[in-house]
Amino acid sequence: MSATAEEPKVAKEEAKIDLFEDDDEFEEFQLNEEWDDKEEGKEVTQQWEDDWDDDDVNDDFSLQLRKELEKKT
Amino acid sequence: MGEAQRRIIISDYITRFTDSISSQDSLSLKQLLSVSSNSHSLLSLADALNVFQDVNRLVKQYGEILVPLLRCLQNYGRNNLVDAYNSFEKASNAFLQEFRNWESGWAMEALYTVAYEIRVLAEMADRELNSMGKTPEKLKGAGSFLMKVFGALAGKGPKRIGALNVTCQLFKVYFKLGTVNLCRSVIRSIETARIFDFEEFPVRDKVTYMYYTGRLEVYNENFLAADQKLVYALIHCNPESKANIRMILKYLIPVKLSLGILPESWLLEKYNLVEYRDVVRALKRGDLRLLRCALQEHEDQFLKSGVYLVLEKLELQVYQRLVKKIYIIQKQKDPSKAHQVKLDVIVKALRWLDMDMDVDEVECIMAILIYKNLVKGYFAHKSKVVVLSKQDPFPKLNGKPVNS
Repeated sequence: MSATAEEPKVAKEEAKIDLFEDDDEFEEFQLNEEWDDKEEGKEVTQQWEDDWDDDDVNDDFSLQLRKELEKKT
Repeated sequence: MGEAQRRIIISDYITRFTDSISSQDSLSLKQLLSVSSNSHSLLSLADALNVFQDVNRLVKQYGEILVPLLRCLQNYGRNNLVDAYNSFEKASNAFLQEFRNWESGWAMEALYTVAYEIRVLAEMADRELNSMGKTPEKLKGAGSFLMKVFGALAGKGPKRIGALNVTCQLFKVYFKLGTVNLCRSVIRSIETARIFDFEEFPVRDKVTYMYYTGRLEVYNENFLAADQKLVYALIHCNPESKANIRMILKYLIPVKLSLGILPESWLLEKYNLVEYRDVVRALKRGDLRLLRCALQEHEDQFLKSGVYLVLEKLELQVYQRLVKKIYIIQKQKDPSKAHQVKLDVIVKALRWLDMDMDVDEVECIMAILIYKNLVKGYFAHKSKVVVLSKQDPFPKLNGKPVNS
């Protein structure tokens, strides 16, 4: 396989990112582990907002901002 | 345990090993190879091996595998991890040799076990080497072995279905060693293969593969590709596997944020990713001070997982949000002049947020926002005013990355 043959060449440019201890190592799935692979209805994929950028300026932060802007310098 | 009993335990293991090969019983073979499983039968085997003389005479077949494998089990039982690894590597090479000669892929699960075991034994051995003040080098060795396994699987034929599993073991090795560039050739081989459709690989391997390649895309700041891969991993991950879902989200959230998409707050609570809570809040408010504080507070964590730079770049979106709020507040006061935002006013708002910038610096920031299409408008340089476009002055990202 070409993949094996290329290894030494790539090895020279290694380690741009140093992650020697990878804290985020994916846990092994068991070989006999099975689950429902359907896309629909998975709550975790539906919990995103792309329309959050509203015109509401009644939150505390905005009210404070308004007060600051109105102050005379 | 008497001598006779020890002989029975050892002979039994050897017989089961040869039988599982002759009857092509991958499951049984897998258990016999699971050195690190600390199973009761393997531990008593290790005890027996410890005092038994001349084990090798009991081995009649598959000696190239069995002799080092038994030595490995014995050393593992004694907690001699470097020796255990060295023996396992020998046994693994011999096993791979046999595997290549078997026409079908009946022993695939046993091979997966070899690939997993060699990696975890190497990690243990490296910790031992490190504690003795020696250079840890076994994980690198395991990587080379796994590359050979990949080579044995990646060609045409029924064994190709196992290539992705081994690829995932390789990713784990390379990420741990910090040699993630070595992933590239394997990825190329997986993704350019016309003879094998990616979707045919087992789900668990596809999920793991997408998680790791998604992380690579995050490091390379290819946010659209990262989004696509990590979402794939998220959708197809076992919903019971909370730890893995959490890890996917840990990378997916910064990616989504950079595309202008926010997670619902309960997602952060449920998966204990509260380090992102203030970042999300800062984006919603336009609160630059909060963004800086959040980045500072979790700096080590963000740097370690490699998302710090991604989050730092959210600053432009937070600026956009702040200017938009100023614009809306102005509009409520006097709609006719709202599209003219004085730089002075922005300076004032920033000062309130503890960011001391003069008019020139703010002008520079505004120029960047306009250039990146986060703000539509132009400068009246002399009067120090930004004149906002009357139409869509603050374009939304809508799932696209900020122009670079």
